[in-house]
Amino acid sequence: METTEAGTQAATVIDAHELSKIYNGRQVPVKAIDGVHLHIEEGEFTAIVGPSGSGKSTLLHLIGGLDVPSSGNVVLAGTEITKLSENKLIDFRLHHIGFVFQAYNLVPVLTARENIGFVMQLQGIAKDVREKRVQELLAQVGLTDKADCKPAKLSGGQQQRVAVARALASRPRIVLADEPTANLDSVNAGNLLDLMARLNREEHITFLFSTHDPRVIEKARRVITLVDGRVVSDQHHA
Amino acid sequence: MLLIRMAWLNLWRNRRRTLIAGGSVFFAVILAIVMRSATLGIYDNLIHNFVTYSSGYIEVHQKGFHEDASVDLSMEVHSELLLQLRKQPGVTAVQPRIQSFVLASGSGQAKGALFMGVIPSLEKKYTHLDRKLCAGTYPESDSERVALLGVDLASRLKLKVGDTLVVIGQGYRASTAAGKYRVCGLLQLGSPELNQRIVYLPLCHAQALLSTPDMVTSLAVQISGPAQLEPVARRLRTLLDTAQLELMTWKELYPELDQFITADSGGHIIMSGVLYLIISFGLLGTLLMMARERTHEFGIIIALGLRKENIAIMLLCESLFISLMGGAAGITSGWLLVRWFHANPIPITGKLKGMYLSYGIEPVIAVSNRPDVFYVQAIVVLLISLMLVIVPIVRVLQLEPVKALNS
Repeated sequence: METTEAGTQAATVIDAHELSKIYNGRQVPVKAIDGVHLHIEEGEFTAIVGPSGSGKSTLLHLIGGLDVPSSGNVVLAGTEITKLSENKLIDFRLHHIGFVFQAYNLVPVLTARENIGFVMQLQGIAKDVREKRVQELLAQVGLTDKADCKPAKLSGGQQQRVAVARALASRPRIVLADEPTANLDSVNAGNLLDLMARLNREEHITFLFSTHDPRVIEKARRVITLVDGRVVSDQHHA
Repeated sequence: MLLIRMAWLNLWRNRRRTLIAGGSVFFAVILAIVMRSATLGIYDNLIHNFVTYSSGYIEVHQKGFHEDASVDLSMEVHSELLLQLRKQPGVTAVQPRIQSFVLASGSGQAKGALFMGVIPSLEKKYTHLDRKLCAGTYPESDSERVALLGVDLASRLKLKVGDTLVVIGQGYRASTAAGKYRVCGLLQLGSPELNQRIVYLPLCHAQALLSTPDMVTSLAVQISGPAQLEPVARRLRTLLDTAQLELMTWKELYPELDQFITADSGGHIIMSGVLYLIISFGLLGTLLMMARERTHEFGIIIALGLRKENIAIMLLCESLFISLMGGAAGITSGWLLVRWFHANPIPITGKLKGMYLSYGIEPVIAVSNRPDVFYVQAIVVLLISLMLVIVPIVRVLQLEPVKALNS
């Protein structure tokens, strides 16, 4: 527990200890993540930055339980996910983590409404509750009029907004976003960041995203810099 | 429900590919149905043409008659037994017959012949023997002193309608059997063998000729369909005095015919298997492609919380949908085609006709509309779709989310 600026106590939602990931290269093993320690409190809006190949995506994948660390452990919201079986990990992600990826995020055969409702349907949430939440999220991301459009009929920016809405649909405690603005123009990237920042403020959801986009870095309240898989700086912005 | 809906929608992401894959199943099913129906039709026709006008599908006779077809092994048949046999389910007719081998002669020619005494009215009613007439008339009563001859036998004996047939043979207990009969009609039967050998006489005259009044050598049992053979035989056996009487199915009476059908049928089943194997490779390619091109998408939905087993169910549904669509269309079209061909058999002409006749098969393509032809195809298609999907399912179950996301 740490005390926030407002004086309330925030819980640690992401806690990584001595995290390492080594890939077996053709000649020598490659250390993608090298002994990373990370503590992120509830409600933080954190960017992981670094040059290409610095291990940003790998770190997000390890934290999200999509990849298995070579050593170390990850505790999310009090659960050590590195000890969970494959299916328990999938269930944990379903209930606690929202994901936004770089591009081609959505299920192409489902409409925006169905994509947002997808995770809730997997959770077994009743249809009326689900519909209400989808409407609420569509309104939040400003896409009420595109509810019945399939991804192919949406622009890149609109698709990413649907992806953010989907990530929030199950009311997760953590949203992990892997270079969410990488394929967007500056206007759409700005809109998406504003949306994420607003949701972070209003719903108190913890956002952790990897990026090398200066516009994203500017909006982040905490910036962790990775170089060669190691944390070289960890700065809190006002 | 979500998975089934997604599977259905996924099929139409590449409409052309799905239609081609379903189309291949459709054509394979139609081809397999028509091939199998035609094969079974030929067998059914072959059996029907041979057994209906000789032994019947099932024959009841004195013990030992099959080994030694002598009129000395004739039997008296009580009307109660006849009644009991006739009322059994699956039995369409029980016809008393007397048969022997005689020397038949006409205008200076003589030839060994299969001589059969039948009740003309019963044959007309149940085996439609009258429809096989190609010249002359059918006996008007059961006591008319006339003979019906196979058309090839008549030709060999140089006999025409209205001529006199002379038969000489051995009667009951070594008595001499000789008689003269007016040829009232010539028969063109489905079995070339019978056309060359058969002489039909009304039963009363045949009994008089062979000195076996009120006796017959066999009871020919006709059944409602080939599938009824074994069940009817089982039921009838329970009604017979097996110490004296013997019941044999056509398979026991003519084992060489049964073996020929079994061997030939095996060849046709292998051909159908090859056909299905070919379409299986095509279908497997489609299923693998459908799974492979969505690897990134699978990574996304696994990350979101969908278990791999559920993706496997989705792939299974996709495979089933393609196979069932193609299979259902194929079975429906195949059924319509078979129905039409069943009602309109195709006569075989030219050199092929000669070939059929040399094998003792009626030169006609008469397809069978047995239900098993259709449901066997449905089961085969279902099994294929279940087996083929194993490969993409195994790949999905081995999928690593990060590798999938990076693909």
